[in-house]
Amino acid sequence: MIYKKDANFPYPVLTNTSNSYESGGFTLSVDLKENTDNYRFDIEYEVESEFLQRLLARKQAQLFLIIQSKDNKFFKLQPDERAIEIAKSRLSINTRTSIQMSIQATTDISFRDNEDINDFYREFKDDIVVPKHALLGFSNTVIFEGSSTKPFDLFERKIDATLKSDIKVELGSETIVIHYKNEDLQFAGMPMSGTLNNPYIYMGLQKALHRFATNPDYGDDGHVYLDDVELPTDQLDAKLYRLMKAKMVYELDVDSLDEVIYKISDRVIEKYATAVKGLEASGD
Amino acid sequence: MEIKLLSKGYKKNEQFYNDFLNDTIESNDDYFSDETVYIKAAPDFPIYMAKRSEEVRKQLFLEAFETVGNHYLGSNRELHFDEQFCHSLLVLKKRDFLLREYPEIKDSITNFNNIVLKNFDWENYIYKTVIGAEYITDLVEDEATRKHYYEVIVDNLDLFNYMIKYEVFRNKQFVFNILSIVDELGLSSVLKKKITDRDDLGDDVRVGRQVLLEFNKSYPVVMSPMLEKEELKEIFMEYLGYYVNVAELEILV
Repeated sequence: MIYKKDANFPYPVLTNTSNSYESGGFTLSVDLKENTDNYRFDIEYEVESEFLQRLLARKQAQLFLIIQSKDNKFFKLQPDERAIEIAKSRLSINTRTSIQMSIQATTDISFRDNEDINDFYREFKDDIVVPKHALLGFSNTVIFEGSSTKPFDLFERKIDATLKSDIKVELGSETIVIHYKNEDLQFAGMPMSGTLNNPYIYMGLQKALHRFATNPDYGDDGHVYLDDVELPTDQLDAKLYRLMKAKMVYELDVDSLDEVIYKISDRVIEKYATAVKGLEASGD
Repeated sequence: MEIKLLSKGYKKNEQFYNDFLNDTIESNDDYFSDETVYIKAAPDFPIYMAKRSEEVRKQLFLEAFETVGNHYLGSNRELHFDEQFCHSLLVLKKRDFLLREYPEIKDSITNFNNIVLKNFDWENYIYKTVIGAEYITDLVEDEATRKHYYEVIVDNLDLFNYMIKYEVFRNKQFVFNILSIVDELGLSSVLKKKITDRDDLGDDVRVGRQVLLEFNKSYPVVMSPMLEKEELKEIFMEYLGYYVNVAELEILV
């Protein structure tokens, strides 16, 4: 299983976010290639602790590559191994696939000679013995989500005559769905009908971003620092996340949703206003 | 064989159910996405084993494991592990088979949803079959041994379900190792036993599930899914000892 949380370990663990090691971390980057039958993951990694490097060289510790999609796959890696191949019949990339490396102790490990840990632990490192089978470090997580050719459109429009309101904005599993009671409400047939729907786009973004901002998985009290959030599992949130990152939004806050919409929405309101003025100018 | 893929919205849809009964799904383009997939062959296999006697259920499972193992696992996993594909195959190509084998489908949409359109997760019999068949065919060459392991799964279904339900255990080698240990040491009936003298553990606790729970609690200080079988066996017996008197079991470790 991919390990993401900075859990409370009773001993120092090398990760990119914990400070139990003095400096450095455990970084992984993965390049996905494929042919007709197989996926191949070309991997590069760096374990920035001489102590752990020594353990790996002496086989007192073992490197694992973990690939998690529908289930978990583990690969014991030799220190010089840089690629893993898996048949497409045994791995699905279309669902979110996460990859991580970890280091496991293969024997009880004394931390007496570990010069890489921080001052706090260093004072009693003679007493630290990490049991066999335990986790010594884990890398960042690399994520793949299928072929990049699939569209990442945010919105869907639907007609639903049974609606109890004229329109309804719904957050679907991958899109913001705007349901209209009838086609007329979409300004169908009018010039610039697409742009005339922009207020609904605005409403949809408000609803979706509000949910994002108040999701306790991402932040606290309706305030999210995007750099602290990993790519969300929820497909719609993942699209919003990417969009915000691409538009250089760093913070999301329930009180500043409108500013964020302004940054990410490519002037929807301005375009709408221009369209309305254009209609007015053209007569009637 | 060409299979059109259903587009979303078919689930819990009364009209879809009626159209299934009237055999008018395929002719209605509204039900389909633009995607079509091709598979070599799609032989029938049991897709629902609930409410059968233990003996019948076992036979149905064995038949399903063998058919899926021999005919379905060669496609891309995106396909044979996909809910939409699974449901499309059933309603388009298996209608007659389903109505014949599971006539209760005709009684109510609830039965239809529960048997044919069931969510593709660990509670779904096809999902169980696909994952079990994949794990066993990949790790066991010999036909007779495969059959034996399929039986071990069915005889320890509660344990198997528990393993494929939880992310930390849903791994080929771990599932296989645990099944092997249970089989070798003849622990099946011990693991199924209810724990009655521990009010602190909640209702309906069984020894096997508790042992797995101990593995879950100790991860990642004990990275159990990555362990070799012999290493795993030692820890398995240790955790088993929390709940039963291992010395009385008369098993060799």
